[in-house]
Amino acid sequence: MLYTELIKERYQLIVGYVGTIIIGIGFALLLPLLLLPVYSQEANETAYFIIPSLIAICLGYVMRRKLKCVKEVTLTLQEGGVIVLLAWISATIFCAMPFIISGKLNFTQAVFEAVSGLTTTGLSVVDVTKTSHIFLMWRSIMQFIGGAGLAVIMLSAIIGPHGLGLYNAEARSDKLLPNVAKSTKLIMIIYTGYILSGIILYILAGMPWFDAINHSIAAVSTGGFSTRAESIGAYNSLSIELITLILMILGTINFAAHYVLLKGQIKKFFQIGEIRFMFFLLAFIVPLVAFFSLTRLYGSISQGIRVAIFELTSALSTTGFSTVGYTNWNGFAIFMMIVVMLIGGGAGSTAGGIKQYRVYVMLKSLVWNIKSYLLPKNSVRQDYVVRPDGKFYVSSEHKIETSNFITLYILTYIIGISILLIHGYSLQDAMFEIASSLGTVGLSVGVTSADAPSMVLWTESFGMMLGRLEFFVVFFASMKIIKDIKFMIKRR
Amino acid sequence: MMNNRNKNDEYIVIVGCGRLGSHLARLLSKARKSVVVIDKNEGAFHRLGDDFSGFTIEADAIEIDSLLQAKINKADVVVTTTNDDNTNILIAQIAKIIYKVPKVIARLFEPSRQQVYEELGIETLCPTILSAIELKNIIVGDKMEV
Repeated sequence: MLYTELIKERYQLIVGYVGTIIIGIGFALLLPLLLLPVYSQEANETAYFIIPSLIAICLGYVMRRKLKCVKEVTLTLQEGGVIVLLAWISATIFCAMPFIISGKLNFTQAVFEAVSGLTTTGLSVVDVTKTSHIFLMWRSIMQFIGGAGLAVIMLSAIIGPHGLGLYNAEARSDKLLPNVAKSTKLIMIIYTGYILSGIILYILAGMPWFDAINHSIAAVSTGGFSTRAESIGAYNSLSIELITLILMILGTINFAAHYVLLKGQIKKFFQIGEIRFMFFLLAFIVPLVAFFSLTRLYGSISQGIRVAIFELTSALSTTGFSTVGYTNWNGFAIFMMIVVMLIGGGAGSTAGGIKQYRVYVMLKSLVWNIKSYLLPKNSVRQDYVVRPDGKFYVSSEHKIETSNFITLYILTYIIGISILLIHGYSLQDAMFEIASSLGTVGLSVGVTSADAPSMVLWTESFGMMLGRLEFFVVFFASMKIIKDIKFMIKRR
Repeated sequence: MMNNRNKNDEYIVIVGCGRLGSHLARLLSKARKSVVVIDKNEGAFHRLGDDFSGFTIEADAIEIDSLLQAKINKADVVVTTTNDDNTNILIAQIAKIIYKVPKVIARLFEPSRQQVYEELGIETLCPTILSAIELKNIIVGDKMEV
């Protein structure tokens, strides 16, 4: 009896917090309307945003009232997981509503677009040339929200130190400051700061202001929604490519590492294992791809390197901007893109993928293992990697967690590819597209489009969601919900 | 108002993550303070639980390097709660004299040492005396002066 009471109380808490997030989404839905004074001819689309916004705010308000019955308590990791899962699902539905109500997309496509936006993937079924500015802006706002993370935004604004479980559940384990509420505020400051400076740089480089806002948000959040059909390639400008490159790299770096960098500790910044790994990887793969594949394709070495740097950084940072199409790339270049997309961005950033940190730890532990055969049997070694918060001694448990994650990632990858293969796509296309959606990259070889079968879109939506929330939270949160529901039914 | 703001900005270093240290850390973390806990045994941090959102540092706090790692030079408060009086007082003295931490509190088991430390400007808290007074109060009522 006591336990049922406890479950009831905890779920009131969960419902209340999810309600808070829904209210937030409701207000976010109103943001694109700020463009109306400039694009007044699009006023007829106002209703598409106001209706879902009102529904969200009302529903959120009703749910939030549950909070009042519960005194302030600390969330556990499991409860944080349930909140994150429910919040992402409800956020997706509300974010998809404008597309559904306006009739631009059907339900499957709208959900796909919303998931793609919130997970900062950037795969799109919208034809950007025929879409109004308000809707383009809405896509960017979704990426802004998703990039920082629903939980982080909420933590910095509302819950405070009681929400550590929430912070961890949304795949954020790095603490910048010894206070979780202050850490999240700092993350938001760094994040919006980069976006603002990106906007200014873009405008200076000659991009129209509307495009500048959208591209800056999309680059720093590693989202990759573009307002042009040819993405960054549409501008054909070296300076814009360079700015995008920098913003993408900034977006893919761990926020804790940014904090080290912004404090001026440049030497310490470049000692961080993950950062070293990223630059080493790019320095290794870019010349390979440029030399073996792209130089011949684009005529000159310089052009080949320019394309290779941009595309590979876009893939590694899981942004998904592109300057060229991939249809004429050869197998080697495509495969390198897939590998880089699987590796993905930095842990604790807005990026997706397996995460450079995990790959780095696994490669390191491989080296440690080989080295251990050469050492005396009883030698004592302390294996560590350098993280933004200092040396981290890697325990075997940490290694097991890391390898479990990678196994799960690869398994999901295989299942995803199989589904696409069943639908008749070629192996290369399937591998590329699933790596792109699972790593929340957003590059496409042409599988994802408005006329793709709905099963394919659902597979990709699911992949993006799993990739963004890093698998485990989805599994343990749904398991907890099922377990609790079963328990409650038995009691009745 | 100013006073209030200062209170919110407090940066607290706790040395020793035993029963007292861990409990204190949780309470302070819940009260939205920035808390760093140092202990030389990593296992001790399990006591901190879900509601602690600060940093933990696995190091021997007798070494100045580990104190600097905890940014003792920027701390507003240092509390030493290890189970050894001498360790507590050593670290408290380092904090007070070398790093000029505004508020330093040491936990002390041995009552006879209390006076010496108060002369050094270190606040002490002696559970032995506190429990003795409390027990006496329970037994004879709190009429008598200490």
